[in-house]
This record gives sequence, C-alpha cells and structure tokens, in this order.
Amino acid sequence: MRITNDQEFKAALAALDNCSRRQATAYLIRQALDLTPDTRVRAGLDLAVRCDANEADLAVAASGVNSARVATYTQCGHDANWTCQASHFVARAAQECVKPEISASGAWEAAMQARMARICQAIAAGEGTSNREAEAQYRALEAYLNSKEGQP
Amino acid sequence: MSASLDKGVRVLKEMIDAPIASYFSSCVHCGICAEACLFYTETGDPKYTPIHKLEPMRRIYEQEYTLLGRLAKRVGLSKAVTDAELAEWQELVYNSCTLCARCSAVCPVGNDIVYMVRKMREGMSAAGHSPEGIKGAVTRTINIGSPMGVKLPAVKAQMKHAEADYGIPIPLDQEGVEYLVTLSSMEIINFPEYLGAIAKIMRHVGKTWTLSSEAFEATNAGMQIGNSDLARVIVSRVVAGAEKLKVKTVISPECGHAYTALRWEGANLIGRPFTFKVQHIVEVLEEFRAAGLLKLEGMATDRLTFHDPCQLARRGGVIQPQRNLMKMVAKDFVEMPDAGFMNWCCGGGGGASSIEEGEELRLEAFKRKKRQLEAVKPDRLVTACANCRIVLEEGLEHYKMNLPVVGLTETIAEHIPDA
Repeated sequence: MRITNDQEFKAALAALDNCSRRQATAYLIRQALDLTPDTRVRAGLDLAVRCDANEADLAVAASGVNSARVATYTQCGHDANWTCQASHFVARAAQECVKPEISASGAWEAAMQARMARICQAIAAGEGTSNREAEAQYRALEAYLNSKEGQP
Repeated sequence: MSASLDKGVRVLKEMIDAPIASYFSSCVHCGICAEACLFYTETGDPKYTPIHKLEPMRRIYEQEYTLLGRLAKRVGLSKAVTDAELAEWQELVYNSCTLCARCSAVCPVGNDIVYMVRKMREGMSAAGHSPEGIKGAVTRTINIGSPMGVKLPAVKAQMKHAEADYGIPIPLDQEGVEYLVTLSSMEIINFPEYLGAIAKIMRHVGKTWTLSSEAFEATNAGMQIGNSDLARVIVSRVVAGAEKLKVKTVISPECGHAYTALRWEGANLIGRPFTFKVQHIVEVLEEFRAAGLLKLEGMATDRLTFHDPCQLARRGGVIQPQRNLMKMVAKDFVEMPDAGFMNWCCGGGGGASSIEEGEELRLEAFKRKKRQLEAVKPDRLVTACANCRIVLEEGLEHYKMNLPVVGLTETIAEHIPDA
C-alpha cells in the first residue's frame, strides 16, 4: 500500500480497528520522540503499542502524559522556547494514544500534533516552515500496514 | 532617594486624577472589597485586601492633595513613601492582583479599585518595581513586537500547519476584507487549532477575513505592566494594520487583556476614534448565530460548563453571547456558582501568570475555582481566553482534577459540518 497524501493517510487510519489504530498512531508519534526528553511520554507510547494494554494501565499512563503536556505549556508573557514547545506537542499527540478508544479523528489529531512538534523544532532552528514529518508519517503508516498484512 | 523612586513617586502623583482623588476620599474602609478578592478569600491574609494594595498611592494622595495631609507631612507626622515600601508592595500590586475587577464591582461607594491598581502600576513600573516576568514581556514587545517573542515566520508556520490540518487557506494581508483576525501569542504558541477553527467558521458563514503580517499580535503587555505609552504603541500597530488593509472589523482573540486594550481603551490611547469596529471573537460568533449563519450539527452529551474570562464578562459586559453559543452545542450545560458577571478569576490574569515567583499564591487562589467546579462536576470546562485556559489547566493538574479544558471557538468549529 502506498500513501501519498493526507486523504489516503486519514482513510488508512480510519480503516483500522481500535487496537490497530492506537498501535499505528503510537508508532507515528514515536517518530517524534527525539523532540521530548520526558519519560512519561515515552512510557505512554510504549504502552499504547500493546494491544493487551488494559484500561487501568492506560489511565495511569494518561495521567503521566497529561502532566507532561501541562508542564510544557508556554505561559502567558514568557519567552517562547520552541524546543520546549515541541516537547509539549509530542505530549499532546501521545495523549490521544493512551485513551481507551482512539477515533479516526483522534488519530489524525495526534498525527497533526506530532507534525506541529516538528514545526516547533524548525522554528527553533530558524528553518522556516518546511515540514517533512507528514511524509515520514506516510512511510511509517505504510510500514505498519505492510507488517500487518498476512497476519490473522 | 534613588532616581527611580523619584520617578515612581512623580508618576504616582501624576496618576492621581479626579476619579482617584474622589475614590480615596470616599472610601469608607468597609472591607467589602476583601471578600471579593480571591487572593484574600483563599489565604485569609488581610494584606491582600484590594484597597490596601493602594496604600502607598493613598499616602501620596493625602500628603500632596489634602490640607491635613500636607500639614502632617510638613510637621513630620506623615512618612514619605520609600523605595523599600514600593518593593514590598510589588507582590500586592502584581502577583496578587489579576485586574479582575471583582473589587470594583462590589464597592458600595462605587470606587473603581482596579482602575486605581492600574494607575498604581504606572508608578510602580516607573520606580522599577515591576516583576521580572512582566518586564521581560515588555522588552520583547518593544524589540520584537510580541510579549512572547513570536515573529512572523512562526505565524506563517502555524498558518501552513492549519491549512494542512483543516484543508482551508489562511489569508494574509488581504486588503478590503471584512474582518482582520488578530491573535494572542498564546494562541500562536500553544493553541494553533484556534487559527484553523477561525478558518473553518469563516468559510462556513461565508465571510472574508485576513491576518496581517504587521498586526497579528494583539496581546498588550503595556497594559499589564502599567505603561500607557507602550500600551499605545501596541494598539497603534493593530490600528495601522487594520487601516492599511481597510477592514471593517478587527476581531480580538480569545485573550482578555487584548480585548480590553483594543476595544475599551484603544481609541483613548491613540487619541482618536477607530475607522473600524472592534469585537471579541465571542461577539462575532454571537452575531453569526443571531443572523442564522451558524448551522451546527450534533450536540455534546457530556456535561459542559463555562469559565467567564474577567475582561470579557465583568469588564467587557459580554455575558450572554457565550451562553447562547454553548447552548447550540451542549445538551447538558451547567453554570458554576457566581458564573457570569461575578465569576471568579482563574488567578492568572493581568500579567500574574508570567510572574514565576507568584505561582504558589496562584495555586492557593485556585482553590476558589476548584470549589466552583466541584459544585457542578462538569466533564469539560470551556472558556474563551488562552491565558485562562492554561492557568486553569495548571490548577487542575496541581489539584489532580481530571477535567479537559477547551476553547469556545474550537468547540463551535467542531460542530460545523465538513464542507
């Protein structure tokens, strides 16, 4: 399967069942983990890729991810630290993955937050508005879908 | 006396105008303003009584503008305001005052205490006794044009992101359109979805709009620190941008003080009427609703409540529009105790959230909001101010309350059918 644009990307996410969608989305977000040092976010995504994750475990992970998200807001009047802000958006993306049910729109939302994180990194580096995260997400989702092919 | 104290005292003298003189002379020391201030009610510390926060200014008023005060000063019975005293008062005038104006609303003799606090801040700022956090925001506003250091490339990056997310073009520098949309730094940095929501709503209602590369920032740090000259410069940038693009209406973002600065004080600051109308985004959405342009689908079934931003509801008088909008999307909309005109502040307005050393006090003050929320047990909390939103989230996180906080504009946009 080849994904070349956002419509195909959204359709591919929508076609998955809940567990696969959470797993696939978590894989997408993991690609942006270089933008956050927060272990709570990493732990949340590690749990999200497991289909046997139960609601209680997800709730604990969600609490940690939420704390990471709130802690990385840039407060009003503070100097914008775009590197820290990238970390915030990774946490926001991860938040969708640790919900018991992840809808197609939630998966898309998470992907967009991860792209936003990469934009923040680009702003911090003074690299303008170019964002290659979308393309990277297409390839990651293709890889995930291909790995699922042939599985029962 | 240091030069900065001289300057501060001089500015404080200049700030004492007829209203302030009448307020000081008519204060009956009843203490009702204390019960209206969440910093007092949540700590019980009398130093947070609003009128007490103005004590140095009151003494200057007495010593300079009353007969008995002048005599007392001459014979040494009344001590002069000192630099150490102003330093001590910094916490009272900035950290523990969000300019929420609840004190003004309850004063039985009609003293506009928040007006006085803002004038007091002018003197404090001139004396060098304003918090580092707000000073930093002011410096960035002067040097960069944004209190949080947001530059145009960052805005363009967010525009591109919103275009991809929503599949709708974001116009920039379009002349002759109906609306100029301004943003707060907070939205650009923390809530880029606001911009996408605006694009979706404007397309839905068929209105023309634009951002301006010269006037995208509406946050007014000048107002927060107490510097009218700076407040004027910031308003002037928006005015210049709006007039250059010949727009009919400037939309103030979900930012309380941006609205007050532009809508209620802007024309006075620049000394002439605007050539355009200024509306808060909530007022614009309400106009769309009243005109039947908002055709929303679906109703949220979870329990929603609304936190009224002080500058919008109490200072701006915008109370019913947000409720009309909430009822369009919420089946179970509940009001917190004291909601509307007398709503309690989030605890971080008026620049308070940028004062790091004030965090502990802010969290203490948040107990009031916590009780308001516990009384109605909502599933989601909606508001219309990006600063409130973050202060609320921090308070909720601190007190381990699992309650999502969302913006009203995005909430409305979510119920717009896909084109």
